[in-house]
This record gives sequence, structure tokens and C-alpha cells, in this order.
Amino acid sequence: MALPVIPRGEMPPDETLAFHKHVCPPDFGGPNPDPLNPDLILSRNLLISIDLLLPENARVPMWIIEDPDDPVNGRVFPSKTIRIPRGALVNALVGCEGGTHTIHWHGIEPTPMNDGVGKHSFEVDGNFVYQFQPREAGTYFYHCHKNTVLHFEMGLYGLLIIDPDVPGAPFTDGGPGFCAAFSPATNHVIPYDVEAFWVADEIDSRWHTLGHDDFMQECDPENPVDPANFTQDGFLNDFRPDIFVVTGIPRRVNNPSPFSAADDPLFGPLVAPALQAGQTLLARILNAGYTIQQFTLGIDAEVIAMDGHALGVPPFQQYSSPFRLPAGTPFRLTTAMRHDLIITPASPGIFPVTIEYFHSVSGRRLFTARTAITVI
Amino acid sequence: MKEIKRRDFLKLAGATLVLAACSRGGGGSTEDQSGDQSPTGQPGAVSFNFRITEALVEMIDGTLVYSWVFEDTASGQPVLPGPVIQAEEGELISLTIENGLRENHSFLVPSAPGSPDVVDFGMIAPGEKVTKSFTAPSAGTYLYFDPLNAPVNRVLGLHGAMVVLPKTGNTPYSVPTPAVQQLFNDLGTTDHFPKHALSPAGWQRDRFRIWLMSQVDPAFNALAQSGVIINPADMRDNFLPRYFTINGKSGAFSSHDHSVVLSGRIGQPMLVRILNAGLFTHSNHLHANHFYVTSVNNVVRENVFNIDSFTISPLDRVDWLVPYIRPPDIAGDPDTPLRELIPNELALVIGGDIGVPQSPLVFPMHCHVEQSQTAAGGNYPQGTVTHFEFLGDIDGVDFPNAGG
Repeated sequence: MALPVIPRGEMPPDETLAFHKHVCPPDFGGPNPDPLNPDLILSRNLLISIDLLLPENARVPMWIIEDPDDPVNGRVFPSKTIRIPRGALVNALVGCEGGTHTIHWHGIEPTPMNDGVGKHSFEVDGNFVYQFQPREAGTYFYHCHKNTVLHFEMGLYGLLIIDPDVPGAPFTDGGPGFCAAFSPATNHVIPYDVEAFWVADEIDSRWHTLGHDDFMQECDPENPVDPANFTQDGFLNDFRPDIFVVTGIPRRVNNPSPFSAADDPLFGPLVAPALQAGQTLLARILNAGYTIQQFTLGIDAEVIAMDGHALGVPPFQQYSSPFRLPAGTPFRLTTAMRHDLIITPASPGIFPVTIEYFHSVSGRRLFTARTAITVI
Repeated sequence: MKEIKRRDFLKLAGATLVLAACSRGGGGSTEDQSGDQSPTGQPGAVSFNFRITEALVEMIDGTLVYSWVFEDTASGQPVLPGPVIQAEEGELISLTIENGLRENHSFLVPSAPGSPDVVDFGMIAPGEKVTKSFTAPSAGTYLYFDPLNAPVNRVLGLHGAMVVLPKTGNTPYSVPTPAVQQLFNDLGTTDHFPKHALSPAGWQRDRFRIWLMSQVDPAFNALAQSGVIINPADMRDNFLPRYFTINGKSGAFSSHDHSVVLSGRIGQPMLVRILNAGLFTHSNHLHANHFYVTSVNNVVRENVFNIDSFTISPLDRVDWLVPYIRPPDIAGDPDTPLRELIPNELALVIGGDIGVPQSPLVFPMHCHVEQSQTAAGGNYPQGTVTHFEFLGDIDGVDFPNAGG
């Protein structure tokens, strides 16, 4: 007896174009349609190809988003950190070469045209001026949202930090600076001396041989969900990382050596921070990969913010509160989650930090990255 | 008097999720042939009747995948996921499960960790029909599934959602924590959560969506179709999802399915009940609004985080309150109506003949573990994704094209 069939869904005739846009977003470019006078203008170009140098001198091809105004450090992986004072009205001039792209300002919540998701607006052809005005200080990131499964993995992302709107902002990576945290006596802004970035990521080398549009569906405005237009030979559902990364510093899966400040002159101190007893460390943590990442610190910490929003701060975060994370207490982040931690060591020592990467299906541990907080 | 409430089917064209047909009131069940001693058809009881059967499920690329599914015997239609069981806390539920397949099956509804299961059917032999009665537990979001040969029977399709509504109160819970109670008290009554001009203040209890997430590796479904008893360790170690679904649908279909899409106006908060019946750990990300995590695995949260991405592990039940505030980082004066602040965006149609208007405002929710955005190994974004749409402004004026 023939089995009944449960259909995949319906495409009402009047939604054919919407279905087509889902698969094949239109191109667009030029000025912002509703421009306002900016407080801050920044530029980013994508994509730029660079090689990531592994400790054994092998190279992995990466794609990054460039800061064209910084000839010295504008081409790095992860893409260069953007820092913006809270409340600034931003115009972000984004240029695209070699195909269309977008930038999504993850955690920032503007209109669809400024949100950088092709199927809800467009993919940038040439250039576009994104416009937004961040209202909460905290840790965010930005990334390309085209064929995101591949483009995000290839390195088209960077940290986006909204600093509190206090004198001195935006601050320099590494500290000192100020951040948003529950502190009624100081208008919910607190100082820190040293800043760490633990941006954990993984690389599947097989994926880094692919082209921009590989394994995408063919466009067909007449029948955007025609089964004949689906690619069937892709492997972007099959993530097998062989290189593990903390804030741009890589290790092959068989290399257990700790991540240190000596690894990379640009990112090293951000990964393996050093501070004096009595000083305050702010650690900004992002899962920029596709595994389940478990972080364990050998020192007490306080979780003060998640996803760019400071716990406990009214009005929107008044339903939460910061919480203590005793030394040795693991916590897990999945993709795109951010935690901001405050650490105030009272005495000298070297305190280990481990990042364990677990597969998102099997749950198997794939790698353990080790770094440390050095207190002198 | 026995009354079949046909209204209990969601009246949405192409809707993914069907509410289970139920009968309320007295009179004995005519289908209670089990050895179970539980009473059925009691006055005040609400009765559901499911059959475990098999079907071919069409994936987004047209591939037909053999699956084990539930069928609501009132409709005779197999569905994936199973029909939604909806009840009010304290109601007596009479549930009949018939095993129409060739191997043993079961039916389990877990509760909060450390608490007794809501109901456990034990083993149901092929051809057997078992009825159990149980009291609808504390209000919240529950996952039901076949726990035998775990995770095989569940992942092959035998799963569904159960929603329990509270008897009283303005939250989705029987016993909200102080933080959750305060959050719901503040909706529509405070400066930071202004209400939509034409809507009542507060969360409306029918403003919720269910996102039951799952994944399909057709290789295992093919084994089941061929009669092989699948080794659960083999599935746990080698499961490679090729299709990723919300309420059984993917990509463009889940993005346009009215039972999945978040639809509303600024100032109309929405609850989302998220469940994961599969084996893939998701990290769901909402654009345009940070959401509040109000309950995790039937424990109402004491510390209510306001975040934009959150882990949804296998078997998880997670509630989000989406405040439906105006996207807060839109450039310009937050008090200026959007029709005045972004008139050109609202009027724009991008892409000429194949363009879609930029109004109303539509954003995505997607899992950020981006393998889940694929189908058949690519075809981005045809996986775990849907729409989050704003049809109108806080002052009661809808955006252009919102009327459809």
C-alpha cells in the first residue's frame, strides 16, 4: 500500500516573488534611503583574501573584512574590531568587490535595510551606507550574511564593541576603558584596566577551498522552489574542524600548545592578558564558530553582560542580575552568544583559561585550547 | 455530551502545526480497549486520540523521506511533528495511543529535571491501543516523544509539543517567579514597553508560537524503511543532518508558514515556545529585538536574561518572550513615527520586477550554527529559519502593505 505523503509546504501564487527573494536576494547599492547627519563614519570593504599562518608554517586561505582607513592593521583575522560610543549615529560605508555581500551588525537592531540580511532587503552591489544608532553599550560582532554558512566560517566577521558614552570613548583594544555594568552609584558604567578578547572559532580546511556561491541554489523566479534547482552535492552541513582558533591565533587539532601573548603581536595580549593584583580585567567572550564551546577559568569571575546587554541595568535588563562564576565553574556558549566577565584578582598568580570545543551533533570534545591570565 | 471541536484545528492555509482534535465532557470513550485501568471520558476530561504510523515526508528539495509519525485519528491525517496537545493546567487529559507499526513504541512527556514525568505510556506493542489519563501539569511548554531505542524513535519523527495554559494570571505560567511576573506586569504599562494603541496592555495568552525544531538524516530513515533496527549508538555517533526543520518545515516554507512566523505590531508582545526533538544543538538568533528567556525545561527563570542568541539543546523546551518593541537601534529620534523617520525605506521596492516591497518590516530568526541553514548540504538559507515581522507602528497606524 502506498504510504501517505506529508508535503513540504505550500507556496501561494502571490508569494512566488517572496520565495524567489528568499533564495536570490536582489542587488542594491548607493546612499542610504533615509540619511541622517552622522556622528561617526566608518568604512569596511569585503572581501579581502589573506592567509592565516599556522605555527608549522602552513597557510589557510581566509576571507576578511578590511578597514581601508587603516593601512597598518586593517587586514587582520578576525576582521578588525569596530568600536563605537553608545548613542552615536553611525554611517558605515561598505564596499563589496568580486561579488555581492552584506554586513549584519549582530545584536544591533536597526531597520531591515540597515540590518544586512539579503533576503529581507538586498545584497550590496558596489557599495552601500548602512545607518544605525546603538542604544546599549556592550559586546557585539559584525559579519557577512550572504551564504552565511560559508562566509562566516571563512572569516568575514569581527568584534563590534559599543563603548559607554563617557569621555575617552571609543577606547583602545586591550584597555583601559569603561564598560556598562550594574552599578547604580556610577550610572551603570564601571572602569576596567585590562581587556581580553576570547573569540573562539574553528576552521574546516575542506571548506576553505570553496568559492563564494558554492552549493547555492539556482535562481528561478518562476518556480523558486523547483526541486531541480537545488544543489545536491554540498557538504556545508558537515562541519569537521581541523584547526581551532582563539582571537585569530590558530592551532592544528594535534597541537596542544597553549595560546600565549607571543603567538601574535597583534592579538596575543588580548588572548593571554596580564595585569597587576588589584586591577580589573574585562573579558569579552564570543563564540564565532560552529561548535559548542565550554569556557573554564581558574579564577573567580562575575558575568556582567550577555549579548551586549548589561545584566540588571534598568529598564530592559532589570529582570536579570549579574552573577558570580566561581573558579573552575564551566559555562557553555553556542554560536553568536557573548558573555562579558569582570575579574578582579587580589593576588599574583597564573590562572588557567581553557576553551573546550564540542561537536554540535555528536557532542564529542574536538579540542582543548589553553591560555592564561597572568597576575603580577 | 461529546463534542468534537473542529475549531481546534488551526485555520491557516498551509499551516505546519495542527492542534490535536479533542473531545470534552462526559460519556465513555468507545475506543478504550487497553488493559490500562485509567478512567477515560470522565466529566471534565479532554480526550485525544493518536495513532503511530508511517508516512513519506517531503523535504524542501522534493526528496521523500520515510518517517514514523503521529496521526490524529479524528482527522486520519499523519502529520510531522505530531498534533499539538493543548490544555489548561489541572484539566484531566485522556490520551489514547495506538501503535500502528511493527515494533514497540511508547509515549513520554517529561517534566522539569528531577520531577516525575507528566505521563509515561511504557511499552505499546504493535497493534496495541493504550489509554492513559493524567492531569495537565503546571502551565508551560512540554515535549512529547517516543523514548524507546532513544534517540532513534524520536528522531525518526515520533515527537510533538504539548502546551499547558494557566488557569489565571497574566503570564504563561502557573507559578511565575518574581522576575517573570514583573516582566509581564510591565508589558504595555511602562515607558519601556509601551502598548500598541489599538491593543490591550500585557501579553495575550493566544499570542504564542511553537517552534519545534528537528533534523533529518535520510540515511537512518532509509534503514528504518528497510526494517533494520537502528543501533542508537550508531545514530548518536554518525547522525549527519541533511535537512533542518521548524514544525516540520524548512527555509522558504518555514519563513512563510503562519504557524511559525512571528507576526505583530510594535507593542504586541509574543511568546515563543521552542523545543528540540533532534540531535543537533541549535543556537537560535533573533534579529530586531533582544528576547527574554522566561523558562528553560519547565523551570521558570529566576534570572531573566535579555539576549539575542540562545542554546537549544536536544530535548530542550525554552520559552522566549519577544517584547515586540520598536527595533531600538534605528537611527534617529525614537519618538518619531517610523513612517516619518524612514519614509523612503517603507516606500521602496528593491529589485525591479522581481522585487519585494521593503514594507512591512521583516527580519529573520535563524539558528546561528549555520550548518542548520542548509538543505542537502547547501542551498542557503533553506534550513532552520523564519520571519519576524512588524506590521504596524505603536500608534496604531500600520505600515504600507501590511493589510494582506
